[in-house]
Amino acid sequence: MIRIENLEKVYKTEEIETTALNGINLQVKEGEFVSIMGPSGCGKSTLLNVMGLLDKPESGSYKFMDTELLKLNDRERSNFRKANMGFVFQNFNLIDELTVFENIELPLIYNKVPAATRKAMVNEIIQRMNIVNRSGHFPQQLSGGQQQRVAVARALVTKPKLVLADEPTGNLDSSHGNEVMELLCELNEQGTTIVMVTHSSHDAGFSNRIINLKDGHVISEKINKGITEELI
Amino acid sequence: MFKLNLKIALRTLWKNKSYTLINAGGLAIGLASCMILLLYVAHEWGYDKQFSGYEKTYVVYNNSKNNAETLSWAWTPTLMAGEVREKIAGVKYASHSTYPNPHLISYKQNNFKAPAVFADQAFLKILDYEILSGNAEQALTGVNTVILTETLAEKLFGQEDPINKVVKFNNEEVLKVSAVIADVPVNSSIQFEYLLPWALFEKINPWVKNSGWGNNSCLTLLQLQDEGQLSAVSAQMRDIYKRNIPDATNEVVLQPLAKWHLYDHFENGKSVGGRIDQLKIFFLLAFCILLIACVNFMNLSTARSEKRAREVGVRKAVGSSRAALMNQFLQESFLLAFIGMLTAFMLMEIALPFFNSLLNTSLKINYTDWRFWVALVGLTLATGFIAGIYPAFYLSSFEPVKVLKGFGHSGAATLSIRKALVVFQFVFAACLIVCTAVIYQQLQYIKDKPIGFNKNGLIEIPMEGNLRSKEKMALLKTQLLESGAVTGVTYFSRSLNEGGNNTFSVSWPGKNPNDQVLFNFRSAGASFSKTIGAEMIAGEEFSEAHHNDSTHMILNEAAVARMGLKHPVGATFSWGGSPVTVIGVIKDFVVESPYQAPAPMILYHIEDEFEYMIARMNPEGNVSSSVNKIDEIVKAINPNYPVERKFADDNFEQKFQNEQLLGTIANLFGGFAIFISSLGLLGLALFMAEQRKKEISIRKVLGASTMNILTLLNKDFIKLVAIANVIAFPLAYIISSNWLSAYEYRIQISLLPFGIAVLLSLIIAVLTVSLQSFKVAKANPIDALKYE
Ligand SMILES: Nc1ncnc2c1ncn2[C@@H]1O[C@H](COP(=O)(O)OP(=O)(O)OP(=O)(O)O)[C@@H](O)[C@H]1O
Ligand SMILES: [Mg+2]
Repeated sequence: MIRIENLEKVYKTEEIETTALNGINLQVKEGEFVSIMGPSGCGKSTLLNVMGLLDKPESGSYKFMDTELLKLNDRERSNFRKANMGFVFQNFNLIDELTVFENIELPLIYNKVPAATRKAMVNEIIQRMNIVNRSGHFPQQLSGGQQQRVAVARALVTKPKLVLADEPTGNLDSSHGNEVMELLCELNEQGTTIVMVTHSSHDAGFSNRIINLKDGHVISEKINKGITEELI
Repeated sequence: MFKLNLKIALRTLWKNKSYTLINAGGLAIGLASCMILLLYVAHEWGYDKQFSGYEKTYVVYNNSKNNAETLSWAWTPTLMAGEVREKIAGVKYASHSTYPNPHLISYKQNNFKAPAVFADQAFLKILDYEILSGNAEQALTGVNTVILTETLAEKLFGQEDPINKVVKFNNEEVLKVSAVIADVPVNSSIQFEYLLPWALFEKINPWVKNSGWGNNSCLTLLQLQDEGQLSAVSAQMRDIYKRNIPDATNEVVLQPLAKWHLYDHFENGKSVGGRIDQLKIFFLLAFCILLIACVNFMNLSTARSEKRAREVGVRKAVGSSRAALMNQFLQESFLLAFIGMLTAFMLMEIALPFFNSLLNTSLKINYTDWRFWVALVGLTLATGFIAGIYPAFYLSSFEPVKVLKGFGHSGAATLSIRKALVVFQFVFAACLIVCTAVIYQQLQYIKDKPIGFNKNGLIEIPMEGNLRSKEKMALLKTQLLESGAVTGVTYFSRSLNEGGNNTFSVSWPGKNPNDQVLFNFRSAGASFSKTIGAEMIAGEEFSEAHHNDSTHMILNEAAVARMGLKHPVGATFSWGGSPVTVIGVIKDFVVESPYQAPAPMILYHIEDEFEYMIARMNPEGNVSSSVNKIDEIVKAINPNYPVERKFADDNFEQKFQNEQLLGTIANLFGGFAIFISSLGLLGLALFMAEQRKKEISIRKVLGASTMNILTLLNKDFIKLVAIANVIAFPLAYIISSNWLSAYEYRIQISLLPFGIAVLLSLIIAVLTVSLQSFKVAKANPIDALKYE
């Protein structure tokens, strides 16, 4: 589904130029659950952001189902993003002024889903995430785990083909972390492609494949036996 | 401590350059606008107050009563001053003088037509003009003497010493220059360039000596011994007419010299305001604009408060008192006001010349005047205080514990105050837009209103010098017509745009004897209505055949209506006791105020009274070449006089000066007020966009387009501006209908001004907000989300 070739990304600041991505080659198949690991600063988040069309690389190619995404203009990128991708962040990034329900509803509004359908879709996902009795609360009134579940719900409500998660458990304790990981696995089993950045090999163990980055390079790939055999 | 505070203040201002720029810029424009308006107000307020005895000086007003109304004017009999001097106690000086009128004055080859006043010696005692050279003491007691103002003396004599030199007056009289005085202050009601003795006036106009109490032909000024005498003197003055003419209805009121200019509107014999009303509006406007600039500061400071909360928390935690904190924040706002004032200074010096040419004024900053500096310092301090007090109060109220833990949702209260302030600003802006639009509509309406004749392409030439003779008048007429520059010529006893020359002594069959009706009277030439493009409704107009005819009259419609004539042509009435016959009726045409229905008018045909030639320019010809031809011909026939040819429509324009001034000022300063308000809005949007950066980024990640984001950010502001408009409309309606009510001819207030206000304020708000939010809406969403 995804084919990335020779991706390069350089950050220029006044004092220093940082090559965050230095010729990345990568493929992700439909229905796969890929983890990206590596030391801090090796470019994981950058890669994920580029994949999510949130950031533009200097050069390279990024094909999504044979569409070259790097050639799209702003509006096309934005449209493609809202139609195909969902995001989960380490720091949740919920909007403080909106309730749980409204936060989840937001991407549907931007996707121009009619109000009635919207309500049904949000209710369905809230049920699935087990946060029904929280739907009227504001993000500050929830625990970290609950907040992340809302964030996951928000990422899933549009039924995206690809979910990008940047250290989704990074701010959570292990039991809350596991809850989220189980959610992602469940999702993956239903056919959603997932790319997740993580520092935890425990979390990475949930995925089909682990990609190791260092200094903006892919240095190794490891296939998780057992789970992935039938895919390959 | 002060030094430390100053350092922090400077650093804060420096660190937040865009806020500082918006704040100081807004304050500077506000202060500059305020001060320019105040300069104008001071200029008007200072009218006639340059004379040392102005507080005890009064202008004699003559109230002439009739059934319908009381008319008040400062025209009095020449005999009055003498009688007052003789018979009324408590009066120190009483003077009579003419009103300024342009006359020719020449020295060798230099000749100028300049306004002159004939006056007696008391005039100079009451109005103590600064004497630069010569002896003014006895100057006005003689016959053939003259007092020049500095500028005129320079124009006539150049570097020569004018004293005791001889000049010629109207090419007839030889006068000796006895003194030179400083130029009459620009804000003085009596504007002349030279003074002539009253005796000369009597010599040139023999009728003056014999004119009695029925002839109101001059200005009478009184100076009391002290102000306490006013009521006694007024009481004695009131019936001075009745004491001299048994059946007179006129009464006298004394108008203080200091109020002559500003309180020039009389109703029922009492002064009820006038220019002062407009001046009050400007005064108010000055402070409103400054207030708006202060509001900007309040708004931005409280909006930024969350950023500064930490500083406050830490300071309180280490032991600062609330007073010390307030002190610090106030110092910051004083500093900003000071910076604003410095900028305002530069703005003012740059803007004043433009302002002066736009408004036809000659305002300047008088740096040697202590009042200027007091106003300046006062305004700066007041601005700093008003702008700073609320933010200081608010910022210093933060509880350290809450603040250091983070803000949460406590911003709501300040948000609503900020919203209220923005609404306040835009109420003001919308009001100004509506009022300006109404003023312009009214002005346009009056300008477009038919005036009964075609003033375009009509020129007036005064019949002076050689042109006083009938032969030369006729010669001019033939030459002008032959040259092809003009197509028609007639004469009039006054300028087409001049008031005056009116009488009560007209009666007709069936007139109520108590009914006093004022009729304008003019001597008109042959083909008068044809030349000026007016319309004869009935009968005929004067032709060459009516030679010096004092028995046949043309009436205007208003006169016919007033006399109630069913068949005007051939009807007779009496004027000054002699019977006269109506030969024609002319459609009303405007010679006085275009804001009122024309007064009744009688036209007659006496060549000796023609003062102006009125000529219709050839519409086929090129204007400037025609004008050159006309000027050449006039100059050739009347070489001793500068050519005074004027366009009737130029003169007519002057009737709109007041309204034009109001319109221009409302427009100009309204524009500034709106600009300052949008600066404030810009600052607020800047802040909001920054505060909501994270939210905006999340929304973008979730698929919001740039348009979505712009709408989101604009929505709140649009709501505020809409509310402001709703509040402003009734206010603006009341103000503008109040203003309009002073005009007899006025527009109906339509929806248009309100539509303009809504549209304009919304466009301004949306543009301002979008200008700022666009950047945020366009930004890469991940930048704001990455590092929390
Ligand atoms: N906006 C930026 N400006 C300059 N340099 C940047 C910027 N964003 C990231 N970098 C640099 O690019 C490199 C890769 O950053 P990235 O955030 O992708 O690392 P990461 O692998 O996600 O690290 P971590 O595990 O700590 O999240 C780092 O060296 C970082 O300093
Ligand atoms: Mg990272």
